[in-house]
Amino acid sequence: MKELSLRHVLPRAFAPPATSQVWGEDIVFTRGKTCLVEAASGAGKSSLCGYLYGYRRDYDGVIAFDGTDIRKLGVRSWGDVRRHSIAMMFQGLRLFPELTALENVQIKNNLTHHKTPSQIATLFESLGVADKAHARVDRLSFGQQQRVAFIRLLCQPADFLLLDEPVSHLDDTNAAVMGRILFDETRASGAGVIVTSIGKHLDLPYERRLAL
Amino acid sequence: MRLLWKLLRRHVSALQLAGFWLTNLVGVTIVLLAVQLYSDVRPVLEAPDSFMANDYLVLSKEVHAGQQSAAFSADEIDDLSAQPFTVDLGEFTAARYSIMGGLSMMGYGMSTYLFLEAVPDRFLDVPAQDMRSAHASTPGDAVWGFKPGDRRVPIILPRNYLNLYNFGFASTQGLPQMSEQAVQAFPLTLDVTGNGRHERFQGRVVAFSNRLNTILVPESFIEWSNATFADRGATGPSRVIIEVRNTGDEALLSYLRAREYRVEGDGDTGQADYVLRIATGVVSGIGGLITAMSIFVLMLSILLLLQKNTRKLQDLLLLGYTPARVSRPYQLLTLGLNVAVFVCAVPLVLWARKTYLPFMTLIGGDGNHTPAGIGTMLTVGVAMVLTVTLVNAIVIRRQVRRLW
Repeated sequence: MKELSLRHVLPRAFAPPATSQVWGEDIVFTRGKTCLVEAASGAGKSSLCGYLYGYRRDYDGVIAFDGTDIRKLGVRSWGDVRRHSIAMMFQGLRLFPELTALENVQIKNNLTHHKTPSQIATLFESLGVADKAHARVDRLSFGQQQRVAFIRLLCQPADFLLLDEPVSHLDDTNAAVMGRILFDETRASGAGVIVTSIGKHLDLPYERRLAL
Repeated sequence: MRLLWKLLRRHVSALQLAGFWLTNLVGVTIVLLAVQLYSDVRPVLEAPDSFMANDYLVLSKEVHAGQQSAAFSADEIDDLSAQPFTVDLGEFTAARYSIMGGLSMMGYGMSTYLFLEAVPDRFLDVPAQDMRSAHASTPGDAVWGFKPGDRRVPIILPRNYLNLYNFGFASTQGLPQMSEQAVQAFPLTLDVTGNGRHERFQGRVVAFSNRLNTILVPESFIEWSNATFADRGATGPSRVIIEVRNTGDEALLSYLRAREYRVEGDGDTGQADYVLRIATGVVSGIGGLITAMSIFVLMLSILLLLQKNTRKLQDLLLLGYTPARVSRPYQLLTLGLNVAVFVCAVPLVLWARKTYLPFMTLIGGDGNHTPAGIGTMLTVGVAMVLTVTLVNAIVIRRQVRRLW
């Protein structure tokens, strides 16, 4: 997938701010480019992520992957997209509380076999959660959980990485580590990055900034 | 798969599953036992030497006092064979001359008047090897059949004649009882008189029939001997045998009622088979109902499980899991349960069978029939497991897709 485009997309659930550079506009996200979508709370940040990742459809206008309207994608195609093309880190994380931190990562990696166990161990190490790998994820702080969800995000081949407020609960040091890892990963894979933020930004050399 | 199961087994209630397992076990055991019982009892009722097996009826006319003849006319026979329920029709041909049957043994002799009848060979249901054994002493002789010049005439006796002698006559009069083999070894003499001629034949009982109430000889013998000895003109047959597809056919029954034809041996095989069918039908119906209800309960508890795990299932789908893959743990769970039920039901059925098999001789008469195998029961059981599991799998898959 090379392009992720929005044509006159408007959310049905709420009226977007008139100053928005995304809602109602024609936008194209290109593979290999890094983009920051800044928004005030309630501007529809998570709705946008939901539309792009296919679990919400309450919008007007057209969202297309390489020109194909995503409303035409079936269950099977969405499964393929979520295993091979778009990786997402949810604002609510969507980790499984009854599994350990490591198991939460494995449940994704078992599907894609994208990372080796040692690569995963290194990521846990780098992000300072190696000692929590075998703890149930609901015993972890939200900041630690964000780092686990970030590792899970990286466990798949992707053309685009979608991060919904990835550093909201991280200290600056850990946020910087996360930014560096993401930068290295995407430079190697050539993937595009779309990060949303309501204040604290993931530290990346953004090529484009959009106000939602 | 291990992680998936760890995640999805949440809210699985062991008590609910055990409840399903037990009720389904009861239901499936009843169904399979009914199937097994039916396949065990059927061959006894449809014994190979039963002349009046399920699909054959011997018909005669109602006899009224002072009536000249109760024979079927040619028109009546044509009409009967033209009926849609009639597959085949054969006439009983009686000997129209006098026959004196004699038996001499150890110097004692006795004789009695006899009557002989014949039916077309294709209506004959006595296994050929049974007849051959009786003729072992004279190899080369045709077992069943007669051609002019032969001195030997094969005979088939009704088994109940022998029973009447053994259990009614011999036991009360202090006479020895006789086995079938002994009777088949007796040299009988048949003195045939008529048309101013007299001839003596060697009779030999070659087989016994369970259902045929007449002394049967080959049709070729009756034809030849009637032509040679008959001193009375031919009348129509007083009895006919018809082959029908279904003895319970309403058209057949109303036809017989309207013409006052009597069915010989009625209420024997046909009705027993009918009662057996109804009984096993009712029993397997009840078993089926219990099974269906337990499956329904299983479906409900699995759907409830899916409901409780909705959020997890949705998250898995968001991670890129396919509905098929997410459904699989639940589908395997139902498969496991259904197989567990089947595996436990089979020994129960076999145990029950072991207790009822000894009683089979009571309804089976001579007890020579080997009961059917357990193949049919196992096939039905496997088919049930597969069908139920398939239905479960489809319902689960559809429910998971609905979460999409």
